[in-house]
Amino acid sequence: MKFKERIAIVEGVRTPMGKMGTTLAVFEADDLGAIPVREVMLRAGFGPKDIDEVIIGNCAQPAHAANVARVIAIKAGIDKHVPAMTVHRNCASGMEAITTGANRITLGESKVVLAGGVESMSNIPFLYRKEMVVFFTNLMRSKTISQKLKTLLSFRLKNLVPIIGLEVGLIDPTCDLIMGKTAENLSRDFFVTRSEQDEFALRSHQLASAAILAGRLQEEIVPVVLPPKYSTTMVEDNGPRHDQSIESLARLKPYFDRKVGTVTVGTSSQVTDGAAAVILMKESQAKAEGREVLGYLKAYEYAGLDPARMGLGPVYATSKLLDSCKMSLADMELVEINEAFAAQVIGCLRAFESKAFSQEFLGKKDKLGSIDMRRLNVNGGALALGHPLGMTGTRLVITLLKEMRRKKKQTGLATLCIGGGQGAALLLEAN
Amino acid sequence: MSDIGFKIEQNGIARLTFNLKAEKVNKLTSKIMSEMSDLLKEAARKPDIKVLIIDSGKQDMFIAGADINEIDAISDPESAIKVVTRGQHIIHQIATLPFLTVALINGPCLGGGLELALACDFRVVTDNPKTKLGLPEVNLGIIPGFGGTQRLPKLIGVKDALDLILTGKHIDGNKAVKLHVADKLVNTVFRDQQTEDFAVLMLHEKQRQNVILSRRVRGFLNNTTIGRALVYAGAKKAVMAKSKGQYPAPLAALKVVRRTVGLHIQKGLDVEAQAFGKLAPTQISKNLIGLFFLSEALKKNGSVSAAESRFSQAAVLGAGLMGGGIAWALSSNGIPVRLKDISHDAIAQAFQAASKIYGSFVKRRKLTKAQVTSKMGMITGTLDYGGFASTDVVIEAIPENIDLKIKIFKELEKEIRPDTIIATNTSALDVDLMAKSLKHPKRFVGMHFFSPVNRMPLVEVIPSAKTDPAVVQAICDLATKMGKTPIVVQNCPGFLVNRILLPYVNEAVHLIQEGLSIEEVDKLMVQFGMPLGPLALADEVGLDVGIKVCQILESGYGSRMAIPALFHPILLDDTLRGKKTGKGFYIHTETGKTPNTAILALHRSDSVAKPSKEEAIDRLILRMVNEGALCLEEGIVKNAQELDMAMIMGTGFPPFRGGLMKYAQERGVIAISKRLDELAEKHGERFISAAILRKDEPLWK
Repeated sequence: MKFKERIAIVEGVRTPMGKMGTTLAVFEADDLGAIPVREVMLRAGFGPKDIDEVIIGNCAQPAHAANVARVIAIKAGIDKHVPAMTVHRNCASGMEAITTGANRITLGESKVVLAGGVESMSNIPFLYRKEMVVFFTNLMRSKTISQKLKTLLSFRLKNLVPIIGLEVGLIDPTCDLIMGKTAENLSRDFFVTRSEQDEFALRSHQLASAAILAGRLQEEIVPVVLPPKYSTTMVEDNGPRHDQSIESLARLKPYFDRKVGTVTVGTSSQVTDGAAAVILMKESQAKAEGREVLGYLKAYEYAGLDPARMGLGPVYATSKLLDSCKMSLADMELVEINEAFAAQVIGCLRAFESKAFSQEFLGKKDKLGSIDMRRLNVNGGALALGHPLGMTGTRLVITLLKEMRRKKKQTGLATLCIGGGQGAALLLEAN
Repeated sequence: MSDIGFKIEQNGIARLTFNLKAEKVNKLTSKIMSEMSDLLKEAARKPDIKVLIIDSGKQDMFIAGADINEIDAISDPESAIKVVTRGQHIIHQIATLPFLTVALINGPCLGGGLELALACDFRVVTDNPKTKLGLPEVNLGIIPGFGGTQRLPKLIGVKDALDLILTGKHIDGNKAVKLHVADKLVNTVFRDQQTEDFAVLMLHEKQRQNVILSRRVRGFLNNTTIGRALVYAGAKKAVMAKSKGQYPAPLAALKVVRRTVGLHIQKGLDVEAQAFGKLAPTQISKNLIGLFFLSEALKKNGSVSAAESRFSQAAVLGAGLMGGGIAWALSSNGIPVRLKDISHDAIAQAFQAASKIYGSFVKRRKLTKAQVTSKMGMITGTLDYGGFASTDVVIEAIPENIDLKIKIFKELEKEIRPDTIIATNTSALDVDLMAKSLKHPKRFVGMHFFSPVNRMPLVEVIPSAKTDPAVVQAICDLATKMGKTPIVVQNCPGFLVNRILLPYVNEAVHLIQEGLSIEEVDKLMVQFGMPLGPLALADEVGLDVGIKVCQILESGYGSRMAIPALFHPILLDDTLRGKKTGKGFYIHTETGKTPNTAILALHRSDSVAKPSKEEAIDRLILRMVNEGALCLEEGIVKNAQELDMAMIMGTGFPPFRGGLMKYAQERGVIAISKRLDELAEKHGERFISAAILRKDEPLWK
């Protein structure tokens, strides 16, 4: 889908990303999401009534704030007459918010859309087992003492073992594989060795660390004063390990296939909290208002594939995107491929370079091309920074556009793999 | 149309409806009381009435109380007794009607309004947030005079009744039902039908008895002589702690309740009338009533709705404690606020300050944690000027250094819209001088908050010579929206409150230099009614901060404001900064404070006689009076009334004295100037009396 008129991304900010259970765990998703929304409006000079619609991506939608986008909008001070909806496309939810917003602007349904993504993985609840739910239901229905007694006696201690919401959320019900297992599949398909994965994870940490030390990521981050004490301010992501060594990565045991696997927690994206937001409008409107914008969305594509190999989503989506834009991979001056797993990114790189893959799965005569590592995830990726599911899509767009401005590059590709077997790819332009 | 309506419906329900056409609120004027009396007499003869519902034709308003103007006009005990005895009779008529009576209370039901409702057989209250019940008479220096001291203790017991009568506090509908002041809570919207349903139900003997039984006063404290004695002792202690014995009304109310428990209603009412008669003509009551009218008038200084349409985003420059307090006042009243400072730590400090204030509301259950999370979310921090283009007002609260402020304003003006108001929070710097440095001085104004922001209700608004009057009004609106009372003050060193207060602190230091002890000086002023002695106050503020302002005043006004010699050695000693360093005029420990006698050794005036107590009091208070008079002469403040209110809200000047200038007026303006002349002869120019004190004219006009 290539836009006739590009969509301007006026401004974008994000919170720092905090590993699960650390700094940002105090924020529920709605409070966390409100932070970048309020900030992006202030930085871009938009008042409470200047937004026509709010669209927020979120995966683990919190029980206390159904349609979390609406709660975020109100908490961020957006006028109560502005409608809001939450979108869900798993790991691409933060991109879905942007592309849905872009479509609505193109259709003329809204002029200015605030889009974003949020995930508070720290606050994904533990659930009761079915047996326990049945027990509670029966107890409520029991009227007489003897009924009650009978119900009480049916209780079994093992019913108390909780279901961990985060864990079941990461298992694809269509293929019954946890995400890490799909990465193991790519490792086998593309011969991605353990040490290659470790090297790639090390690279991610080193690049992220350098970006933080050089102050590059600060440009996109809104510092967060941390409740309940408000004595410290979180100004940077706490995932990247500045002293990460290849040895310590090599020492980790495989996590998803404990016997003969290659994927470790060190070569998987971190479980993290975070939120991001951007403001969208038509290019012509931005120009008419004399706005300096962050960049433009030129085209996007989503694609479906085998859920057990969901990590290849970027290849399928990018292939479609290049077709619709009539461009080649070599035109992409900077590329962000979300680092769900090291094996998955390397698998994608190999699929891009494989003629056989292209012919068998993409229906193309030739390979898509190769991606120069100097263009790929130059400020690190989710292996180091973390992957707050609903937020990442928005973050990739912000990070990529800010880097394109810094490096004075015109064309960029942001792509990610989506649990359940999908891929997303966005074509971004700086000027 | 009459102010009071009466109609009988077919089902035997009659309605008596208050609606004072010429007034915003319903109040029990003597005229309306007469009309009611006639109507009640007429109603009593109608055999077809089964129930009378007394309600109000005004939206969100039952009866706000008796007519305060009539109370203010009372000048002697006899006429006071006559007025209330008449009122008591009319109210008592309700209690003796041959049918059931129900008061339907929606909105304020205060003072005489509640006393009227208490004479009904039943009270129904709505869940309207504006419904509030209370007997605030003690706040006006009087006691409930239409039977409140009699019927309320009988209904709910002495313990809860005294809690309401002695504090004057309000309760909402829910609480009223909980305390059994009211019998039933109804839905505000469906109140008429639900009240009729209740009234019909009360016609059934058994249902009626159930309601009456549920009211039965319980507990050892209410029902035994020993219990009640404990309640009285506790109540007296609480009253003394709060009023320091300087307000006679709560003590009189307590005495009436104590003397009349168990007495026949008529005898009790007589005692109540006698006590009312003693209080109503007193100067203290007149002073408190005067201040009540004044505070009502001051509410018109700013408009909340105007602020709501003018300000949707605010910014505060300079975080820290003051910035945090201002951020709290803005966010808690629904205005998002951007805090800018030079470090994340400074911003975090402001977040902490705001969070701490919010925490106190959670503790008192005035706010929920979720509400606080949302309100704290309205505060954002920044190191650069990001977001300032969206802000409608910038309140600058950086340290008090005029060069620094001017430098920051130059930066700031490049980052904001030309219509964004800049308000400088300063306690003493020259607003005109700052205005000169600005490109757009019309939008610049002084806005002096008092510390701590959450507790001090006053804001001095100081226009420069170039400030647009619309900007002055907008800032008054904003202050009102922030829950503060704005008073417009002309630019001069110290503005109004500090200019008047600091000579008094200086004088306190002169007195200890002349041999009075630190405790003696502070005690004299506490006895006068000040919440804190001047030296203890100086320690609270911080001696460095306070002396700095004193120096600004000295350079502004010359030798009459010369700082006392003791301040010089204090300034040189960094450990003597008051409470914050643990040492100043007092040594502060966690458990309390003891006078720091060592500080006296730093300077001692040569060979002067130790001043008498009486002279000390005059020197302290009359220096304030004289400075206040000079402010009036120079037109620094609109009038003596606003000056007095500013001193009460800004310094805690004792309300029972009616205000600083009111105090002088009562003592006699000429007597004051004569006394000042005597003091001037003895102690020099700082006591030379202001010209308006030499004219025999009232200061309150």
